[in-house]
Amino acid sequence: MGLRRRERNGGDLAETIALAWSSLLANRMRSALTMLGVIIGIAAVISMVTIGRGAQLQTENQLKSLGSNLVFVQSGVAASGGPASRGAGSATTLIWEDAQAIAASIPAVADVAPNLSQRTQVVLGDRNTNTTVVGSTPAYVTVRDFLPLSGRFFNQVELNQAARVAVLGQTVVDSLGLTERSALDRTIRIRGETFTVIGTLEFKGSTGFRDQDDQVLIPLTTMAARIVGVNTTAGVSVESIAVSARSAQSMAAAEYQITNLLRLRHRIVPPREDDFLIRNQADLVNASNAVANVFTALLGGSAAISLLVGGIGIMNIMLVSVSERTREIGIRRAIGARCSDILRQFLIESTVLSLAGGLLGVLLGVVASLTINAIFGWSAGIAFDAVGWSLAFCLVIGVFFGAYPANKAAQLDPMTALRSD
Amino acid sequence: MLQLCRITKSYRMGEMAVEILHGIDLTILRGDYTAIVGSSGSGKSTLMNILGCLEPPSSGQYYFNARDITQLSDNERTDIRNVQIGFVFQQFNLLPRLTALQNVMLPMVYAGYGREERRQRAAAMLEQVGLADRMTNRPNQLSGGQQQRVAIARALVNQPELLLADEPTGALDSRTGEEVIELMSALHADGLTVVLVTHDASVAQNCGKIIRIQDGQISRSA
Repeated sequence: MGLRRRERNGGDLAETIALAWSSLLANRMRSALTMLGVIIGIAAVISMVTIGRGAQLQTENQLKSLGSNLVFVQSGVAASGGPASRGAGSATTLIWEDAQAIAASIPAVADVAPNLSQRTQVVLGDRNTNTTVVGSTPAYVTVRDFLPLSGRFFNQVELNQAARVAVLGQTVVDSLGLTERSALDRTIRIRGETFTVIGTLEFKGSTGFRDQDDQVLIPLTTMAARIVGVNTTAGVSVESIAVSARSAQSMAAAEYQITNLLRLRHRIVPPREDDFLIRNQADLVNASNAVANVFTALLGGSAAISLLVGGIGIMNIMLVSVSERTREIGIRRAIGARCSDILRQFLIESTVLSLAGGLLGVLLGVVASLTINAIFGWSAGIAFDAVGWSLAFCLVIGVFFGAYPANKAAQLDPMTALRSD
Repeated sequence: MLQLCRITKSYRMGEMAVEILHGIDLTILRGDYTAIVGSSGSGKSTLMNILGCLEPPSSGQYYFNARDITQLSDNERTDIRNVQIGFVFQQFNLLPRLTALQNVMLPMVYAGYGREERRQRAAAMLEQVGLADRMTNRPNQLSGGQQQRVAIARALVNQPELLLADEPTGALDSRTGEEVIELMSALHADGLTVVLVTHDASVAQNCGKIIRIQDGQISRSA
């Protein structure tokens, strides 16, 4: 008489999981402490990734707040190689006329805002603040997408007349003890010159490089004539020119055309190198993303290590559990549990342990993420992919770190196991 | 049904191998009621464990229903323990965290029965051993005699052909021990093949056949 053929499954999965759960409950304190490692690991991974993403998104948004479809042309140090060099070390190689030429002759360009700045002191009565005074043109408003909050920006007439008018950023307004309303029509002193405040700028926040609200805008002509005074024979020198392209698609064309135009105007032929530098927003965003990615990877990586430590904790406790329950294993083997049944039982137990820890960790991580987002006012949301990954990682940890103890249990000799106490 | 040829069993004790059984020849027929007696250390429990496929002999052949057990894989021997042999231990060996019913159901779990069938058959089996009102009790809430009856129910739940009992009364007082023996006799009367190990002469007297083990050998068979 042969053995009856049986559909072997060692009880259905739900039942085995329930069994695993009840044996974990039998050692509440121990199971909870073991899970803590995984809980902390998972919560750390999720909240660290959220922090990294949040910071990244924040920087991205701020870079976008510079304006739309922006291309920055910056003065570079003139190359001193060729005989036709304009003189080594002249840091400001761009002039206002370059900006006007870009605006006039490049179709892909919507508008340009030249920029000449100087860090200096601004005085109102007995209060003063150290800030950046920026000389520009009325196009600044559209190019940089920077609207007045109160009053108005200076106009073309004031630019042409080199009028002594100023528009204040909100940080400067605060520093001088004013409000956006009370600031209007006040007279401030910059480098001994008096200026009338005609407007204040909307709040923009920091780009991560500098505070965009800590500046005072005055007409470029006034700036050149009264503050910095860098009048060259060629005209008014500018540090940089902000150029807005007509659309995102025309940015590449604009960059190319600007490069060619400036090379012509500056008489740059190889092997002379460009005496200007063109960067667009995407470059800035990419650079900041690269930094943020490293940051996120570092945070996430160190959190993953704590998860690994949690996994080792699981292996440890499973080994203890196997040696404590040697007799149980012996009994089960004696009444017909195969090695594979025992293996399965302990594997599921370690997986339930790590997944339960993982779920609690997700809960904690989500709460932590929401708190972090609320504190910093981020809208990054929760790193749901990190939730998915870390739960999958938990599953792997449960199986991987459970495998050795479970195998140890399965390989026990039934009789030896029965004799133990 | 069972046939043992020159079975030996030795254990390794550090450097030395100690032989416990020295060539046992034994035949048990279907429907037999056999007692194995002997003083402690004579090797009767070891013989029992070999009969129950719990450990393999060191040499010799063991035929169970004409299949040589010594040639089988671990899984095949496990399945024989599960379905064809019921084993009752001196120390009951119930799982302390499970109820009486769950303990009885356990062999059926490994045999692959569905949940409902397990519950019904295990309940019927507990009724048969007189524990219908103790199904949800855990072992520590049961007396020794009750625990042993749960163990017997567990041994029988997969309807084995052979019931092995290793000193089933050893941990019980004489009155509950008698009850357990009566239960075994009744099972034998119903046609089950029973082998039990005992050192109680009065228990052995009830059996149709007595095998006496002395120093690892059969000294007398009646």
